[in-house]
Amino acid sequence: MPTLEARNRQATMSGDIVLRVDHISKSYGPVRALENVCIAIRHGTIHGLLGENGAGKSTLVGIISGQRAPTSGHIVMDGRPLDHVDIKTMEKAGVFLVHQEPMIVDNMSVAENLMLGLWPKRGVFIDRTALARQAMEMLADTGIDPDAPAGHLDAVARRKLNILRAMFSGGKVIILDEPTASLTVEDRKALFAFMTRLRDGGATFIFISHYNDEILDICDAVSVLRDGRVAGGADTVEGMTSEQLTELVIGREVTLFARDRDAAAVRQNGPPALCLRNVSAAALQVAAFDLAAGEIVGFTGLPGAGAKELGRAIFGILPAAGTMTLAGGAPQGLPTSPRDALDQGVAFLSDDRRRDGAVGPLSIGDNIALSSLGARSRNGFVDQAAEHAVIDQYFRAMDIKSPGPMQAVDTLSGGNQQKVCLGRVLATKPRVLVVDEPTRGIDIAVKQDVLRILDALTRDGVAVILISSDTDELIRVADRVCVFQDGGIHETLHGADLTLARLRGSSQA
Amino acid sequence: MTDTILPAAAAAPSPPRRDAGGSTRLGWILHHIVLIWLVALVIIFAMLNPFFMTIVNLQNIMVQATVLGMLGLAIALPLMVAEIDLSIPANAGFSAAIGVMAFSIGLPWFLAMTAGVAVATLIGFFNGVCITRLRMVSLIETLAMMIILEGALLATTQGKTLINLSDAYVWIGQATVAGWPVMPVVFVVALCAIGVVLTRTVLGRSIYAVGGNPLASAAAGIRVDRIKIAAYTISGFLAGVAGFLLASWQMAVTSNQGSSYLLYAIAAPIIGGVSVFGGRGTVAGVLGGVLLLTVIQVGLAIVSVPSFYVGMIGGVMIFIAVAIDAFRIRYLG
Repeated sequence: MPTLEARNRQATMSGDIVLRVDHISKSYGPVRALENVCIAIRHGTIHGLLGENGAGKSTLVGIISGQRAPTSGHIVMDGRPLDHVDIKTMEKAGVFLVHQEPMIVDNMSVAENLMLGLWPKRGVFIDRTALARQAMEMLADTGIDPDAPAGHLDAVARRKLNILRAMFSGGKVIILDEPTASLTVEDRKALFAFMTRLRDGGATFIFISHYNDEILDICDAVSVLRDGRVAGGADTVEGMTSEQLTELVIGREVTLFARDRDAAAVRQNGPPALCLRNVSAAALQVAAFDLAAGEIVGFTGLPGAGAKELGRAIFGILPAAGTMTLAGGAPQGLPTSPRDALDQGVAFLSDDRRRDGAVGPLSIGDNIALSSLGARSRNGFVDQAAEHAVIDQYFRAMDIKSPGPMQAVDTLSGGNQQKVCLGRVLATKPRVLVVDEPTRGIDIAVKQDVLRILDALTRDGVAVILISSDTDELIRVADRVCVFQDGGIHETLHGADLTLARLRGSSQA
Repeated sequence: MTDTILPAAAAAPSPPRRDAGGSTRLGWILHHIVLIWLVALVIIFAMLNPFFMTIVNLQNIMVQATVLGMLGLAIALPLMVAEIDLSIPANAGFSAAIGVMAFSIGLPWFLAMTAGVAVATLIGFFNGVCITRLRMVSLIETLAMMIILEGALLATTQGKTLINLSDAYVWIGQATVAGWPVMPVVFVVALCAIGVVLTRTVLGRSIYAVGGNPLASAAAGIRVDRIKIAAYTISGFLAGVAGFLLASWQMAVTSNQGSSYLLYAIAAPIIGGVSVFGGRGTVAGVLGGVLLLTVIQVGLAIVSVPSFYVGMIGGVMIFIAVAIDAFRIRYLG
């Protein structure tokens, strides 16, 4: 692998660099977020940007897209250094950021969204014919109907629409911030094919992802950030392996966590922690499901197949009929509210931290304490000492990377936010824990931490339901996996049947 | 669950705590901008007219701040759960009329006052139920309630001013101890009580959480609807007390009592840092906002600005306060 500087020098001479990050540093008070970062992006390539949470990816992207000013250094665009950098200048220069969550006005048509703010005009009126014609041209062979309301588009079409919009606005370098989050395997392929076609037409992409296979699949070049510095990179990803990338990302070898299933099985001989009978809801029909204390059961399936729905029903978010029996209890209905479920020792971690996982403006400590406030209160007053003890305990146990528990959760990276949510859930001391995609969007090292914590919990008899679309992770930590289809459990894989091939074949059926 | 997962990481040193926001001087200034602006205005008014700093005038400011403060505190609670209540000042006026009428049909003053406050509390509770259980939009629901209550006040008073209040009824608004008015004590007590509720109780902590992210709060096991109803109910209670104090202080209930307070009562908590998006705000902030607005009002009155200009200058001063606050959020946010 050539050293970065050599690469940069060589690249400059070849003269086809469209954007250069030139010795950029960024400090927030005493915290150095970026230190002397140099990256060269060539015209007509897809350039991967990798790094752990908190490695500085977001900060760098913020600077490249003009949202933040660097403390020192500058951005060189087409060989011209840009001094005063803000979003407008960067967009004028042709750099556009396409967010993780596509920003689309749902009640407008696809065509209108495509040219939002740049609608062709005739006098003061919008030139509807020109709008329709231009939209038609741009959307040719994307399969998207320009007249459809944008709100009806599926996830991958929304992302395509945003990329096209950026290009229509004069985008030469388009930054994609984790565009594949929450896309299915098929959608990913479609998006990649679309990106490759645009690249071949001369577009340049900066592609941010947590997934090595995606980077190796689609990127031409790659840069890796670690602790605010460029840890390495290459002009071509050819011949690189996933392990090499991982090592660059975290600076050491990662051992992927795998649960000791045999040892775990020995412990699972008590009465079941949870029995479900005849659970039914709108798109859900499960005749029987038993969960042993100390067991990790994986739930997987396509969206809408019932895996998430059953998880939400057990926690009382999704109203469902049926009976539920918890260890040492009598058969009863399913919980009617999250509070009801928590009071019975059933806890839940949502797959969407931003929506219903963390309370962003509140501090880490307040979030950790949130679900178990009642347990530490007398006459409605919170016991301050007990509270501090709990916050301190889980702040450390979850190994949250932050100056302290007083920080607002908003300021944390995704992986750390997830740890805060997990801390909140564990502080309720659950007996049954339902976790929905607990490792989505977090980097590989933190992922292992989360899985390790789940494994450790089962040693104390906690029963875990792991809802996941990450087959690799299910193979490594689940004792058995229930594959959902059409609102019910299609088959249960365990022992020798629990293989990657079986799981992929079954869940995509 | 025991703690076997904990020891591995528990050995790690506890990270140092740090306050959120800037440690820089500018950060400090922006954090305390309301206080600084308040002190600056006091100095300016004092220089323009020495009467401003006399004890009589400071007492006047305290008394004036009491009613506005109670109303501002009442409006702060719905704001903290990311809702709003426009009917608070109208509620204060209407419930005061109920109290006075109850008194006039022969109830002892304390029972009459309790009746008024109870009505106000009930109206707050009703607003909360409409907004949560019936999913009505708080802005419009409380706007409608405001119009209803203003109309009801006019109907109850038949357009006349109720003035037949007994000495006992107006005591709290008129009494002095060693020359100092008693009424502000009520505001101080309310501030402390609400402050304790917000910071020390499950209810208060839940209020911040619900305002910060209602969906996450629900998933965390908080009964979001109940918390919102509780916030509205307490808010209604505070409005009732404010209404009683206003009637007692003015020794009358006019046919449009309270309504002139609406915009100031909303402005005060927001200037004091209560977020209209919910989840943020402190009672100290509300106090700061209330004092700032009161000082502007009283100050402009005594530096003999011609009355035609008072409204405009007052508005500009509030504008500046809000502009600085917006800058603060941009800088620190």
